[in-house]
Amino acid sequence: MAQIDTGGDSGKGKSHQKKMSIHVDFTPMVDMNMLLITFFMLCTTMIKSQTLQISLPTNEKVEKEQQNKVKQSEAITVILDSDIDENGTPTKNYLYYYEGMIPLTEDGQVDLALNPMKEEQFLGNENGAARGMRKIFQDRNKQVLEKINVLKEQWKNKELASTEAANDSVYQARAKEIRNDSNLTRPVVIIKATPNAAYESVVTALDEMQINSISRYQIDRISHNDSVLMMALKGIPYGQTPAEE
Amino acid sequence: MGKVKIKRKSTLIDMTAMSDVTVLLLTFFMLTSTFLQKEPVTVITPSSVSEIKVPTANLVTVLVSPKGNVFISLTGDKDSTYSSENMRAELIKSVVAEYNKVYNKNISLTAAEVSTFAKTNMFGVSIAELKGWLDLSQEQRDAYIDPSKNPEKAGIPIDMNQDLSKPNEFQIWMRAIYNLSNPNIEGTIKRGEGIAIKADKSTTYDKIQVVMDNLQTMKMNKFSLMTALKTEDE
Repeated sequence: MAQIDTGGDSGKGKSHQKKMSIHVDFTPMVDMNMLLITFFMLCTTMIKSQTLQISLPTNEKVEKEQQNKVKQSEAITVILDSDIDENGTPTKNYLYYYEGMIPLTEDGQVDLALNPMKEEQFLGNENGAARGMRKIFQDRNKQVLEKINVLKEQWKNKELASTEAANDSVYQARAKEIRNDSNLTRPVVIIKATPNAAYESVVTALDEMQINSISRYQIDRISHNDSVLMMALKGIPYGQTPAEE
Repeated sequence: MGKVKIKRKSTLIDMTAMSDVTVLLLTFFMLTSTFLQKEPVTVITPSSVSEIKVPTANLVTVLVSPKGNVFISLTGDKDSTYSSENMRAELIKSVVAEYNKVYNKNISLTAAEVSTFAKTNMFGVSIAELKGWLDLSQEQRDAYIDPSKNPEKAGIPIDMNQDLSKPNEFQIWMRAIYNLSNPNIEGTIKRGEGIAIKADKSTTYDKIQVVMDNLQTMKMNKFSLMTALKTEDE
């Protein structure tokens, strides 16, 4: 390949010119290229990070009357907590949830006899079936998900519009419509993380909202009553609740 | 007689084909790659199914180390008037002016210090120490903001301050970024694409909450969290 045949024809000529072959050794070139490739492979990022967009409410004080009260039947409160080691690194993540409100006794204390809190886990799908907390969310958001799944089929078959791009944008717009359709029963998820909770759990919880097409969710501070319930569930007697707020 | 003639075989292998392949690979890597930005702490972000990509321009990355040190990195526009370097130079000037006004200090930076700052991707020191930090050599600067080597000084001071008439340093930085002459960055921040929080997945939530609370106080309540991609089965 890298030989240039400069030899003349050796038949009739009087002066018998020697066949010369210029052979270039490419080995050093390959060596150098390999080094450069190694350099680029080590110094670059191939995968671009993704982002999860969230919007929080403003910090401004809202008048009590103006606050949107979450309907009791729609509310699911998710509580995230973690054990931490002496370096402050979370070691084990916990997930608790309860539906509706915290039951109170007549004097306004938490009614521990009716503890609605349960322990759950964030689990991925197994053979396409939801498990753990995702199953609970999906059951609560069934009406929305059914419509979304129908739409998703149409989107996959490109029935929504003629071109690929239009198909995508119609899908996005309709999916948003369905997610915000107030005629459907949709849950409101309140995500509360303790100060020790791993950031990973918070992101997983927010991610579940996307996966399950839940449009109404909020991140809130953990309340005293929440921690009382959580401690009771963990079997730590009340009074040893960690300080908060 | 009897001598066996051993034929000498040349061991030369033609490397041309090999060279062709390596050059192709090299071209591929050069074209597809974006260089890793140097960051004071390496973090492993949590994963999500979200497929929205991090924007490449007009982005503020707030890096939170597992110990709660906060660093900021500013990426400018593709347009050269609003390039990263120009924006950072403008940023540091307005931040120092604001800091002097709020805290009654008298810090002034030289042109060399401003240009050093403009070339720095990620920063995280208190404004009072900024001048001294910029006078250090590259290596010393990196060591200074490395939380494992200098846990006391690394990071931008941040607290739960809610009084914007006396902003904390993180708030001064963020507000100065928002008010930069580049109109696009204001747009991306308003849409919630302009601010990305990057933190390790094993960071405890209280450290992230401080940053989120500060952003909320400044009415920058739309932002994004940097994540890695995963599928629904994970």
